[in-house]
Amino acid sequence: MLEVREVRFGYAEPVLKGISFGVSNKELLVVLGPNGSGKSTLLKIIVRVLKPESGSVMIDGRDVLTMPRRQTARLIGYVAQESPQRFPLTAMEYVLQGRFAQGRLIGFESDEDVREASRALEMTETAEFATRYVGELSGGERQRVMLARALASRPRLLVLDEPVANLDISHQVKMLDLVKELTHAADISAIVVTHELNLAAEFAARTMLMKSGEVLAIGEPREVLTEERLRTLYGTDLLVDQNPVSGAPRITICKIGAEDQGKENLKSQI
Amino acid sequence: MSATATNRIQKRMLVRERLTLRRLSVTLVVLLVVLLLFAVIALTVGSERIGLDAILRIIVSELTGGRADTPAEQVSIITDIRLPRVLMAVVVGAALSVAGAAFQALLRNPLADPGILGISSGSALGAIAATIFAESIPVSRPIAAFIGALITMGIVYFIGQGRRGGSTERLILAGVIVNAFLSSIVIYLLTAASGPRLRSVFSWLIGDLGGEPDLLPVAAALVALGIIIIFINSRGLNLLMTGEQEALALGVEVKRVQIAVYIAASLITGAGVAAGGAIGFVGLIIPHAVRLAGGSDNRLVIPGSALGGGAFLLFADTIARTVIAPLEIHIGVITAFIGAPVFVYLLRRTS
Repeated sequence: MLEVREVRFGYAEPVLKGISFGVSNKELLVVLGPNGSGKSTLLKIIVRVLKPESGSVMIDGRDVLTMPRRQTARLIGYVAQESPQRFPLTAMEYVLQGRFAQGRLIGFESDEDVREASRALEMTETAEFATRYVGELSGGERQRVMLARALASRPRLLVLDEPVANLDISHQVKMLDLVKELTHAADISAIVVTHELNLAAEFAARTMLMKSGEVLAIGEPREVLTEERLRTLYGTDLLVDQNPVSGAPRITICKIGAEDQGKENLKSQI
Repeated sequence: MSATATNRIQKRMLVRERLTLRRLSVTLVVLLVVLLLFAVIALTVGSERIGLDAILRIIVSELTGGRADTPAEQVSIITDIRLPRVLMAVVVGAALSVAGAAFQALLRNPLADPGILGISSGSALGAIAATIFAESIPVSRPIAAFIGALITMGIVYFIGQGRRGGSTERLILAGVIVNAFLSSIVIYLLTAASGPRLRSVFSWLIGDLGGEPDLLPVAAALVALGIIIIFINSRGLNLLMTGEQEALALGVEVKRVQIAVYIAASLITGAGVAAGGAIGFVGLIIPHAVRLAGGSDNRLVIPGSALGGGAFLLFADTIARTVIAPLEIHIGVITAFIGAPVFVYLLRRTS
């Protein structure tokens, strides 16, 4: 469904060094990797916030990067990392922005736009917030409203940049449950960037590990999230075993070891 | 009436889900009525009180080309003095308010306005240079003010563009720096100037709606054009207001909207300041008030600011020329005197 080929991007130094991967229909792909490995940049290229130096992004065989911007917006729903809202905007107004690519450039939203926005609010269980200001909602509520905006255009692909970063553990699970359900029920594929290894292992159909602008590994969580690989990638002592309930890989931090190492480093510096 | 019915009506009145055509029309009609009311008051009061019926007769006869049966002196006061001044207040007020609203949305900063971006200073510098060096600079003051605004806009935009493209923070910073630099030149020129020239420059710096009546048609045309351009882009501005990157992903041609609105807003600032001087606070307060009353949707904020700004300057100007008549207070004094407390109130209410 999504086909990313040989995408390169960089400022003075290369950020993405020829990334290639695919996402199939109704699949949830979780992208993992240390800070600065190029995850967010990759997402921004897919949604055309950034322009790659070379490479292509195709959805259902069509070149995303050369089509009119409004057409891309209809195919892809994007949730960026949260940024503060300085102007008071109701949740309904916010979600209706997701219909920009469908609507007229000048004038008002059609009845269909309003229907679709209401539907998106209901899908994310945020309909009750329609008249509330987005800035006044709690982190979990706001994150769901942001997802609703991405859903309002009925996209083929959801691209979510750290959608659970500011959420407590229950909202994290709810959020990913919702995304997973959407990929099953609504004929949507999803790419999610997160730092939560265990959540990725639990929810992803496939995971992709990135390391300094390259794909280190991609595949089912149990193939990708191995102890040896994660230890070297993150430079932290980690234990990987099996989640006794789901059977997915379970990543545990070995804090004692890490602390000792920290102390050693301190000592050697003194 | 039952409690639930009352409740429902209250809900429909107060709770705002989104901007609809109906809500937009109602708000604009209310603002228009206020504007017209202030216009009528402004026409009647002054050194000579002229009745409403006389004003109506004069305007009708002027429009139809007939002769009014009112004293020639009254006709002259209305058509030559008060009406141009009323129109000037409306044009300048609309220009500064819409420019403020546009810059605020563009820079995602509710405190941005033409003053902060240095464009008013650039305009002022142009005008002052033309006044002081009238012998060697062969352009009229308004044109010089206009050129000053456009050049400053170019410089601020150029500085605001980094190697990785511009950011709104860079642009605001560039504006603040250019503003400081230009202000120092303005103050130097004021120190060097003397006599009646200093006086005329000074009154223009604070704002003077009676100074350039010949400029009205041109200024009105430019301001109308600029407001239309900004209004056409108001949906795009709405999305830009919540985030540049998200706007791109939602299908907005961001660069196109930014450039169109930036140029249009600078254009109307230049026209407004050239015609009425550097009147402060209008661009800050009016868009704020409109947003508080009707929400942040720019399809309302832009035309609402145009009407509200026009009404506000009309009100302020009427006070300015009547309070200590026959003397006139500079209108900038009134806008700041009303504006600053209102601004503090708004700030406290919103935070």
